[in-house]
Amino acid sequence: MKLVKSSGPIWQYQLTPPEAALLEGLLKQFPFTALTPVTISRTDRSQASGERAKLLNESLAEHRRELQKLARLLLSPDKFQPQAKGVLMTLTAAEREGLLLVLNDIRVGCWQALGEPADIHAPPANEQHRGYQGLMDLTGYFESQLLPE
Amino acid sequence: MPTILEPVTRPVIRHQSQSHADLAPTFYVVCWNDPVNLMVYVTHVFMKIFGWNQQRAEKHMLEVHEQGKSVLIREGAEKAEFYVHQLRNHKLQATMEPAA
Repeated sequence: MKLVKSSGPIWQYQLTPPEAALLEGLLKQFPFTALTPVTISRTDRSQASGERAKLLNESLAEHRRELQKLARLLLSPDKFQPQAKGVLMTLTAAEREGLLLVLNDIRVGCWQALGEPADIHAPPANEQHRGYQGLMDLTGYFESQLLPE
Repeated sequence: MPTILEPVTRPVIRHQSQSHADLAPTFYVVCWNDPVNLMVYVTHVFMKIFGWNQQRAEKHMLEVHEQGKSVLIREGAEKAEFYVHQLRNHKLQATMEPAA
């Protein structure tokens, strides 16, 4: 996957057929993991902080639902156009940002499902963990290609 | 002849009352290190959310990476909460901590 054109709000990337199939598969199957509840503060134990954490988790659940809709929209045929040398992916700036959010949601979700290990490349404990690690590698690859150096 | 003293006008010193905003608690918005978010992604998110230039965003990203955390901004509760929501939506490990 490589950036071929970035003019104004339009971003175009050239993907090989396997890359396009993998990316489309990620979008089709999103989300891969359940949301993990988060805390809003590490030191504040007040009631207000508890209420803020509740709101935050509700907001994250709503955000996840929005991302799911976005993932489906990104699968529309005008985004992935087959060409002689592979597939041309055309995104607006907002769609590119959305794709980054979807990919990173998968990546971080897999890390959380693994128990938030310090070493993300530690030998997997089982096949499910191997799958999560594979998804983390894949999404990391696509993210690094989407973002400029 | 008696001396007539001129009245002395002493300035009245009023203690300025603090506004509600001054008295309201403030919070540090902190981003904590994790091994999963790509460095280039963290920089990108800081630039997007705070409108920082690349240099400033990279400085904070490196603080997170090398020191385990970075204080990104100090704000009142409402704004701090807003930024934590934004950062968490991007899957960064952000919290708001009461400022001492």
